[in-house]
Amino acid sequence: MSDNQDADGRFPGSTWACHACVRGKCEVFGPPGTNQEGFHMNHGFGTGLLCATILASGIAAAPALAERILRADEAPIGELDPAKGTDYGDTVLAINLYDSLVYPAQGASGVQPHLATGWSIDGAVYTFNLRDDVTFNSGNPLTSADVVYSFERLMAIGQGHSGLFEGVVDSVEAQGDHAVVFTLTEPFAPFLASLVRLSIVDSATVMANEADGDWASVWMSQNSAGSGPYVVVSHDPQTETVMAYEPDYFLEPAENYPERVRYRYGLDAPAVRALMARGGHDISSQWLPPEVLAALAESGASLVTEAGLTGEYFKLNTRRAPLDDVHCRRALAYAFDYGTLLQLTRITPETTQGRPMSGALPEGLLGFDPERPYFERNMALAQEEQALCAHDVADYPLEVAWIAETPARERGALMMQAIYSQLGYKVAIVRTPWVLLTERVTNPETAPHVVEIAISAVSPDTDSLLFNMYHSSMPHTWMSSSYYVNPELDALLDEGRMETDPAARQELYAQANAILAEEVPDIYGYELLSTFAVREGVTFHNLADPARTYPVSGFNLRFMDISVPATE
Amino acid sequence: MPPPETAFTGNDRPVVTILSRLLRRLVSTLLVLFGVSLLIFLIARVIPGDPARIALGPRASEEQVEAMRETLHLNEPIIVQYAFFLGDLLRADLGISLYSNRPVMTDIAEYLPATLELVFLAGFLMVSLGLPLGALSARYRDRWPDDLIRLLTLLSVSAPSFVWAVGMVLAFSFAIPLFPIAGRISETIDIQVVTGFLLVDTIVAGRPDAFVSALHHVILPAFALSLSGIGQAARLTRTNMIATYEQPHVEMARAYGFSERDISRRYAFKPSLIPSLTVIGLDFAALLGNAFLVEVIFAWPGISRYGVGVILQKDLNAIVGTVLIISATFLIANIVVDLLVSVINPRIRLSEHGK
Amino acid sequence: MRRTVAILTGNPLSLLGMGLVSFVILAAALADVIAPYPGHAGAVVDFANANRPPGADYWLGTDVVGRDVLSRILYAYRVALGLGLVVLSIAPPIGVAVGLMAGYIGGWTDYVLMRITEVFLSIPPLVLALAIMGVMEPTLLNAMLAVTAMWWPWYARLVYNITRGEKVEGYVLAAEIIGASKAHVMFREILPNCVPAIVTKMTLDVGFVIIIASSLSFLGLGVQAPTPDLGSMVSEGTRYLPDSWWLTVFPGLAILVAVFGFNLIGDVLRDVLEPD
Repeated sequence: MSDNQDADGRFPGSTWACHACVRGKCEVFGPPGTNQEGFHMNHGFGTGLLCATILASGIAAAPALAERILRADEAPIGELDPAKGTDYGDTVLAINLYDSLVYPAQGASGVQPHLATGWSIDGAVYTFNLRDDVTFNSGNPLTSADVVYSFERLMAIGQGHSGLFEGVVDSVEAQGDHAVVFTLTEPFAPFLASLVRLSIVDSATVMANEADGDWASVWMSQNSAGSGPYVVVSHDPQTETVMAYEPDYFLEPAENYPERVRYRYGLDAPAVRALMARGGHDISSQWLPPEVLAALAESGASLVTEAGLTGEYFKLNTRRAPLDDVHCRRALAYAFDYGTLLQLTRITPETTQGRPMSGALPEGLLGFDPERPYFERNMALAQEEQALCAHDVADYPLEVAWIAETPARERGALMMQAIYSQLGYKVAIVRTPWVLLTERVTNPETAPHVVEIAISAVSPDTDSLLFNMYHSSMPHTWMSSSYYVNPELDALLDEGRMETDPAARQELYAQANAILAEEVPDIYGYELLSTFAVREGVTFHNLADPARTYPVSGFNLRFMDISVPATE
Repeated sequence: MPPPETAFTGNDRPVVTILSRLLRRLVSTLLVLFGVSLLIFLIARVIPGDPARIALGPRASEEQVEAMRETLHLNEPIIVQYAFFLGDLLRADLGISLYSNRPVMTDIAEYLPATLELVFLAGFLMVSLGLPLGALSARYRDRWPDDLIRLLTLLSVSAPSFVWAVGMVLAFSFAIPLFPIAGRISETIDIQVVTGFLLVDTIVAGRPDAFVSALHHVILPAFALSLSGIGQAARLTRTNMIATYEQPHVEMARAYGFSERDISRRYAFKPSLIPSLTVIGLDFAALLGNAFLVEVIFAWPGISRYGVGVILQKDLNAIVGTVLIISATFLIANIVVDLLVSVINPRIRLSEHGK
Repeated sequence: MRRTVAILTGNPLSLLGMGLVSFVILAAALADVIAPYPGHAGAVVDFANANRPPGADYWLGTDVVGRDVLSRILYAYRVALGLGLVVLSIAPPIGVAVGLMAGYIGGWTDYVLMRITEVFLSIPPLVLALAIMGVMEPTLLNAMLAVTAMWWPWYARLVYNITRGEKVEGYVLAAEIIGASKAHVMFREILPNCVPAIVTKMTLDVGFVIIIASSLSFLGLGVQAPTPDLGSMVSEGTRYLPDSWWLTVFPGLAILVAVFGFNLIGDVLRDVLEPD
């Protein structure tokens, strides 16, 4: 799965999950401190406890020593290896287990110092000064050699976010213990922002766990070797990753930060509902249906949203007739029912999972223009554009694919089928599993005409979104599955990479955005606001207060920034 | 699931040794298992889409995909690919799962015990409830208890396990909250895993509280899983017992004035037990299959829920591994039942001596 | 034949069964006429009426996009029966051919064919269908293929066992002596004696096919949306439990009703056709 897009993707199979036992039917008779001990379950043959059975309060026979626990969940299984992960859950794990040189800037765009105290840029040469007070969870001090090793490891494995640096970095060198020099092949403005994705691993620990030159990738998928605020206690792909706080972390945690975190996988809506109501779960995933989020809010949970630079795009295949004709594309875009779609994302009068878009760019990215009008449905203009289209739509049944793992997207597909038949299109809806879709989109000739995908900016830089989606040099992937070719746009995007002055870049990306709105290689459905239900008594500071929010999707769920009550 | 038609027939050769029987069963089982591996390998290779690309994920470059094709021997003829596959299999190397990012063998070792625990308990319920129900039904043949039991058992085999599972969760977890709907044991309990069977591990650890919790968690899924099996076993026992009732030695017992109760227990139930038991070996397949439906509903962290996950992810290594291990489990269970029956069945031994 | 009919109509259980089955068949056949919202079988959205509990306008409530659950169940019966019909017209002939050949010709043919059958039988049926669906795209056609692939071996074994018994009977030997071809002996002489067993099994199997097919789609590997299907309706409904209980309960009951009906008939039929 990828950044965000498909992860509505609880597996259709994992229909239920944890639930509480109630009315004192499952008391614990164990000695005090039962849940203080680590989870032995996963040593040995570890079968993993699945989620919770909750004790009806007051009946629990043995209140353990108070330990603050945070229980959150995510639909797809999280990948622990920072060199492989790309999903939302992977990001959450990476930022809690590892540190990066820079972090997305809090309450602002761009980046802020993290492991790096500062940096200097001389054309294509970036020199970072590192903090000297950081140690890995193993006790080893974090030095510039670890940064070099982490970069080499990422590129050697060649998965995860390595694409951000592919062909960009010429060399990385340590300069003493606490300075590191990146030499780029040519000036590349988005580079600094990309570094939020370079997690620094403990080179000594990783090398000690290598087998057959695998860069310890098997070991790293089960354990952590970072300097982050948490360390992996156990990891069971079917149930959860358990993490414990590292008291020596170099940043201050929030008041009543969680000492232990259970990051659960594949919990289903009814389970989350039941668990939260009984105090057995703290933060839901963002993939709950609006109905369930509304029910949770009604029963006392608060809803918070994260605008993670994510758009809900309906990618149009510009290489396949009739959508190779811009008029046909515009007809589809004008006929599109933005209003209804947004209405469907509304959870309560105050909270919604979507806000309208005015171009290809979500708010908060360089180039976003607040003056642009939002897209709206206009059937008259749609008919007009349809008349200009060179193709007879009757000849081309329109294939609309939706990702099988995200059942909510069927609604969008059904809506398009209903609407576009009014323009004379015959619409076939195809439910496609994500893995098959990623394979299908590599060939523009046979890729579907329309597919709905949520795509996030990987770094807090506009380039990480627009270049991947629309530059004609990009290989054909799900991100670039409109296969759009426009030399004018390519030139703007290329220039955006070389230009270092933010004001000039703002202008370049605003122009690019205007072209994209005009040429509609995609229908820009809405900007996705990830919505989480938070149990009463738990405070998700980063999302509760806009001034504390980090702009990139996933970077807010840093567990030590969350306040939880002590669990007995 | 189609009802099993024929039980395994007893072997007619003299009992040279049980061992030689066992050996021959093992050899033919290995042969079948080899066939299963070929079948599942072929199924896995007709997948639409490129296994190498699927393994690497959507961001991989063409060069990486080509390199992976080399590594996976995908450019070789299919026979060669199968040979490589068998070689790995003999070294117990099933590759890495895309779903969990771990060796498939690790996943299987971790998740199989949970499923076996569930299936064994369901099998136990099937036998301990199904057989007596069937006996009761036969004893009151064509009277109201029989009619009632027949109707109920027919009803129980008339819905897929997931319908029963959902119904039970609605009734006993939501409406009357008696049972947890998910997991194997309470979150607050730590148990050192030795066998992977929590009901065993909790006893080994000397933790009655943990045992109670584990039992509390397994009852509802096991019952949902066993329901159609109970029906199947009861119906079968009834048929067999009715056949036995009509046999001369039962008539004789009646003539001698034995009580109906004694006749039912001693003369009708016991002989009909054996054919019923052999079929239960076959029903094991149904339980293993239906575990796929029940585990997802109860979020039971077993091999079946894992199987559903890997199938939806097109995780080829794990699909092959899961199907192989489930088939092997089924074949082994059948051998055990078959041997058990031949050991405890005096009639087979008698007839064999007679020859 | 007349006796069969008499017993079927005289037995209250089989009468109930026939009642249920006729109800299901009529519902499927007349879905266009009796469904309150025939359009809801397809790609229709009516967000204004989404998540309605059962009531006067929507007897069994509506789903999350506002489609009438009752109408979708009626159309889903169509899919279920159609799938059963297709599977049971493909699988038995394959199984019968394999069983006849293995049983009658014997020798290596027997050995090879029955080992292959055994291989298929030693993968739990649902698991085999799952594995097949897992690697293929989930379409109605593939679902039929997958279910057929797991179904034929049961017929092969059934017919094989009967054939082994029949081939030493006098009438078979007589036919062989007057020089009848192998095909003639198999299909004209032996096959008719397998028919009662095959028919009984097929009746019982309609229910089982419905169960297996709905299990596949419950796991997300069966019939494609927006085609209504009972298994996927249950599966989609579970995420809205316990509030929107009607989304799971009614499709689940619909499966039970249909399968129970066929099982009742099959049960009585077995007593009549195979009195042993």
